[in-house]
Amino acid sequence: MAEERNNGHKWTMIVDLDKCTGCQACVVACHAENNVPISSEDEVIRGRANHWIRIERYWEGEYPNVKARFLPVFCQQCGNAPCEPVCPVYASYHSTEENVNIQVYNRCVGTRYCGNNCPYRTRLFNFWAPRFDEPLEQQLNPDVTVRSPGVMEKCTFCIQRIRRGREQANIEGRPLEDGEIVPACAQACPTDALIFGDKWNEHSRVAQMVPSERQFKLLENLGTEPAVYYLKGGETHVGE
Amino acid sequence: MIHFTRREFLKVSAAGTATAILAGCAQETERWVALEPYVRAPEEQLAGVPNWYASTCRMCPAGCGIIVRVMNGRAVKIEGNPEHPINRGKLCARGQSGLQLLYNPDRVTGAVRQEERGSRKFEPLAWNEAINTLYEKLDAAGDAVALWAGSTTSGHLYDLFARYAGAVGASAPLRHDLTSALNGVGTLTAANDALFGRSALPSYALAQADVIFSFGADFLGAWLSATGFGVEFGQFRSQPFGKRGLLVQFEPKMSITGAKADRWVPVQPGAEALVAAALLRIIADEGFGGPARAELAATLAGDVDLDAAAVTCDLALADLVALARAFAEAECPVAIPGGALAGASNGVAAVTAVQALNALAGAAGGAGGLGFMPAVPATLVAPPASSYADAQALIARMNAGEIKLLLVHGANPVYDLPPGSGIADALAKVGTIISFNPLVDETSALADYILPDRTYLEGWGYEVVQPGFQGLPVINSQQPVVGPFYDVRPTGDVLLTAARGIPAAAPALPWTDEVAFIKEQITALPKGASGGDDDEVRWARFLQHGGWWPEAAPESAAPELTAQGPVAAAPAAFEGDEGQYPYYLHLYPSVLLGDGRGASLPWLQGAPDPLTTVAWQTWVEINPATAQALGVDHGDMVHVESPHGAVEAPVYVFPAIRPDTVAIPLGQGHSDLGRYARERGSHALHLVGVTLDDAGANLAWSSVRVKITRLDKKQALARLESTIDPGEDIHVPF
Amino acid sequence: MLESRATVGPYWEKPVPDDEHLAQQVEHGREQHLMLDARPPAELNQLTLATMRQTGPRFWIALAGLGAMTLAFLTAWAIQIFSGLGITGLNRSVMWGPYIANLIYFIGIGHAGTFISAALRLMRMDFRRPIARAAETITLFGLACAALFPIIHVGRIWKLFYMMPIPNQRELWPNFRSALFWDMMAITTYLIGSTLFMFVALIPDFAMARDHTTGWRRKVYGALSLGWRGTDGEWHRLEVVSNILSFVIIPVMFSVHTGVSWNLSMAIQPGWHSAIFGPFFVVGALYSGVAAVILVMIIVRKTMRYGYFMREEHFNAMGIFLLILTLSWIYFYFAEWITNWYGNLPLEKAIQAMLTGPLAPMFYLMLFCNIVVPLGTLWSRRVRTSLPAMFIIGILIQIGMYIERVLIVAGSLSRNELPFNWVNYTPHWPEVTVTLGTLAFLGLLYMVFTRFVPIIPVWEVYEGQAMQESRRVGRAVVSTRTEVH
Repeated sequence: MAEERNNGHKWTMIVDLDKCTGCQACVVACHAENNVPISSEDEVIRGRANHWIRIERYWEGEYPNVKARFLPVFCQQCGNAPCEPVCPVYASYHSTEENVNIQVYNRCVGTRYCGNNCPYRTRLFNFWAPRFDEPLEQQLNPDVTVRSPGVMEKCTFCIQRIRRGREQANIEGRPLEDGEIVPACAQACPTDALIFGDKWNEHSRVAQMVPSERQFKLLENLGTEPAVYYLKGGETHVGE
Repeated sequence: MIHFTRREFLKVSAAGTATAILAGCAQETERWVALEPYVRAPEEQLAGVPNWYASTCRMCPAGCGIIVRVMNGRAVKIEGNPEHPINRGKLCARGQSGLQLLYNPDRVTGAVRQEERGSRKFEPLAWNEAINTLYEKLDAAGDAVALWAGSTTSGHLYDLFARYAGAVGASAPLRHDLTSALNGVGTLTAANDALFGRSALPSYALAQADVIFSFGADFLGAWLSATGFGVEFGQFRSQPFGKRGLLVQFEPKMSITGAKADRWVPVQPGAEALVAAALLRIIADEGFGGPARAELAATLAGDVDLDAAAVTCDLALADLVALARAFAEAECPVAIPGGALAGASNGVAAVTAVQALNALAGAAGGAGGLGFMPAVPATLVAPPASSYADAQALIARMNAGEIKLLLVHGANPVYDLPPGSGIADALAKVGTIISFNPLVDETSALADYILPDRTYLEGWGYEVVQPGFQGLPVINSQQPVVGPFYDVRPTGDVLLTAARGIPAAAPALPWTDEVAFIKEQITALPKGASGGDDDEVRWARFLQHGGWWPEAAPESAAPELTAQGPVAAAPAAFEGDEGQYPYYLHLYPSVLLGDGRGASLPWLQGAPDPLTTVAWQTWVEINPATAQALGVDHGDMVHVESPHGAVEAPVYVFPAIRPDTVAIPLGQGHSDLGRYARERGSHALHLVGVTLDDAGANLAWSSVRVKITRLDKKQALARLESTIDPGEDIHVPF
Repeated sequence: MLESRATVGPYWEKPVPDDEHLAQQVEHGREQHLMLDARPPAELNQLTLATMRQTGPRFWIALAGLGAMTLAFLTAWAIQIFSGLGITGLNRSVMWGPYIANLIYFIGIGHAGTFISAALRLMRMDFRRPIARAAETITLFGLACAALFPIIHVGRIWKLFYMMPIPNQRELWPNFRSALFWDMMAITTYLIGSTLFMFVALIPDFAMARDHTTGWRRKVYGALSLGWRGTDGEWHRLEVVSNILSFVIIPVMFSVHTGVSWNLSMAIQPGWHSAIFGPFFVVGALYSGVAAVILVMIIVRKTMRYGYFMREEHFNAMGIFLLILTLSWIYFYFAEWITNWYGNLPLEKAIQAMLTGPLAPMFYLMLFCNIVVPLGTLWSRRVRTSLPAMFIIGILIQIGMYIERVLIVAGSLSRNELPFNWVNYTPHWPEVTVTLGTLAFLGLLYMVFTRFVPIIPVWEVYEGQAMQESRRVGRAVVSTRTEVH
């Protein structure tokens, strides 16, 4: 069901494809922040590479006029998410406070229906119990669950950071400021290709950037109403 | 202008409180963060409330500032220090992975002795015994001691070792590793010396540039200071009024910088100097960019066959002219030499030729994109990088039996040098080898003792940053963010303790511990951006803010050209006969593993390479046309042979590489370095000989040709991307 | 008008006409048609019960074989539960594989049982009489095996009760919008309905078995027959209840496979998102189901020596039925294929390209099994009445339909909207073991079942025989049927 404007926040990410260098800083930052286990070489070969955010690389043209385009893809936090209605146990549900798609790990039974129905294939299944060779488990972020085998997981827009930020603002009795809450990926991104904020706060950077003419949504034709906006990469021609 | 949000302020203030407590106490014992039981928790620690500590990243020599999130004594996340002028709150994949060095399962947990070199059977050694051993060996060695440091060895440690060496009359510590060679540190400084009389690494102000010509420098991936350049690149692409700049990348194999370029020019390996010289020639001949620039170009440009230059780029001459015009007529053009260019046999000449293009920008009177970090107004200087020739000299001394004791810190020469250097044999002739590295790497495996230093998240230090950004001289602070995870001792303390017993060295190293030394150095600095009136406050703020830098950048003009005469345009020479070895070998550091030191960290191993999306492996990149001619496809094992050696690796059919070139990433092929790195992939440095470049100082690591033979074996590539050809109907949905 | 009782013999003692020609006709009729070959009920009872108690060495060997395979299946399942689904070949793009294909397949082969039993009953098709129970049994065990697969398939089997609408203190209910939930409801309803339907028809046979056995068997049969005595009222009620259940179960049957198809067609996955899937899956289910019933008929007839009950005419009728379903299935398959092809959407084309490209051997084998062989042979009565031929055709259709399901489930999933994430699927040993093991488990259940429950609904047979009458019309003897409602 499509979401309607409410009193919550509309967390939104803008991905500037002109700036994404594919450097993987966001990928590793996400692994670190969200306790995402690393897939072994064999698992990658079997097509089970486990990244909440992945940088898709598409080739365009042929040598010598070849181009590589990077497309960071992570859960699009759809306003009309295909993964939500198919889950028989409401493990995938829509938060009306944050207006993001939430995955409830301890409710998930692992039917993987949501994974099939995600056109972005950003939902990942825990095929094995996550393994952290001792003492690597010391690095785990205590704010984030380590998911048990058999459940689906995905990008949460770093919901733990959103909650912390909101609670901090509450404690201090002030409204949230734009830029106060930044997910790990956007925080790490050297070129500032990822910009995060509340689209319903019209003073936010995100709200001001969304109407860009470079803006598009991934697989917009499917009507999923993603909360991630991409800004198309440009090209400067020699002699311009 | 540094954006400084309230949240970030909170983070750093937390760090301030903590460091004040850490640093404010004079007693030696309180310089260590002690793990306390929760019932008696330190005042600043609340369950569930993170503390943030500022420090310095040492995963590569760039010197980015970090803040580390510590929860109840555990470091759980590393982020960029938002105040730091280099990375401005950002951090690359390698920096993020520092946690896995701290918590690496294969760390050496205490001092150990190895009975037989290479046996990898280690016996624990009590630290007092270990320090005593070091003392005895140092005492016995006298001036026959050598230190081999790496580019990430902390500045204070280098300075301590240098003082020790000076006191006992030994030669200065050697600071050389694969990173320095791949970054072309020696080549760049030599070229800058030749052109501008400045023997330093250059910095480039990309944020204000409108045209960037990069010759082989993967400045967004793994070259010099990728995060700093990344921040600048982000600004370069979003300049006022929608200006997004023009980036042209000249390189034989597309790097991620090439992928982001507006124009990728697959220049023939070794011909970069020719192209740069041709650009100068065209600018001079056509008078592009106004009389000042054209005139200057005329003094720099030699006789160049423009058609030949265009052919090496697979370009029409008109295109080359258009490029020259775009460069010359830009307000603030920047040319960056780097990568394989610096490893060519004509390395210094090629880098000089490219760097000369930067002189044009200054000629127009503008600020110019090229800059040099102003000297820090104090005694602190960045330790000099040693060249490969220096390393060779040390190896020769080892072979001659002149070295009785070799201390290795932060370097892994057995892995970092080509086998032809004879390092392994030379080490066998050294009386005692003591390694201070935290993991058993290839060199530590040949050591007699390992006295592991603390990792950078547990230890103290400072570092003079090279190159700078925004024209600021920067000295980074490094402080323990967590208590030492194992029974490991800071090498500085170990050295100071051992040196106390050596009469020649004791007066030169009077400090009780390394913190006293660091503090003395830092408090001698003039007042920086974080202020502070007395030494204690300045010291605390140094730690709290992650370093020292002045409030405003000192005045700096565009570097003045001191060189005369035309730049050399001769192409590089390659080893191996073209008939027998038909392909150029293009080596490049992996964006994730760097020169190989990242291979022990699963996050970096498991993250896909940006362009091939391969993780965990080594691969050989081959142009589709070449692959077809060789009858190979993705995952077919090939035998790559140069006149110096051979490696085996699976093929990755890479669309963005010259057909006459094959590329292999460096970083894998370790025989040690822990479970994640061991026996994984192959080390392409084995293909490289030990020839020196035109300056006779640096290793020409990009100067061989190879031949490729198909093997009847397959190795499935661990690719994140689909292995299925989507066909022509499928269009990428963006 | 009223004749004396003495002149009306029992229905199995039909007078043989004096006319030699007519007598031959009658004899021929008896040979050909079970309904005309009436024999005393007691004899039929014995015929049915005799083989039930026979367990020769071959029976035990087969039982041991199937039991071993079942054990392998259970072991694989246990390993999968303990080590995680990682041991399967599933990947980040293909998250549903043979387990879901098996769900569809086993529900499919369970479909024909009820259809043959209930629909043919309502249509008063006499050929169903001896085979109804054999078919219903497939429904029962097919559904039971199918119901295993959602359980085998999920990642956290120990949390499966979250899927059931059980009142709980957190007032967390299953998601009624999920097609999986509809599917689960439909399967449960169908399983309960079919069991009930089957059990009702079993009551007189249990009573018959009770009357012919001793010891513990007698006690069990006695309990199961619910005190059936065979009174007029009981027969009447049986008739009414059977008819009602027949009417009720048919829509449920349609809903089940439509529900299964909705699991796929409600998703936005290209290759799945198709409006035709409902009827297409129902026809596909009937197709594989009828083929499965034919297989079971052949096996039961061979191993239990029920040649008397299952005759050429039954195989002929089932063969014709199968031919009709072949045609219907082809119609739906190509309706779907052509719509995709004509639609020319890149991803649907990519899926078709995959089927005719890398998966071509599977795809063409499927077409061969499902179209070429049945369509090319079933028109011939000689084939339809040849047991070996029908056996081969039945097996081929099973293979073909199974491949079709795997191609739809795992094949389509390997192609998705972002070509960066296409991953092909290769089954690993757990899927293979579990699939084959479940088939064995089905066989095992069936084997054991035939030794405890009369697999021939004897009462239906002699009900049918009793209603037959031969009349002489001119020079011919015509069989007629009396129906009393």
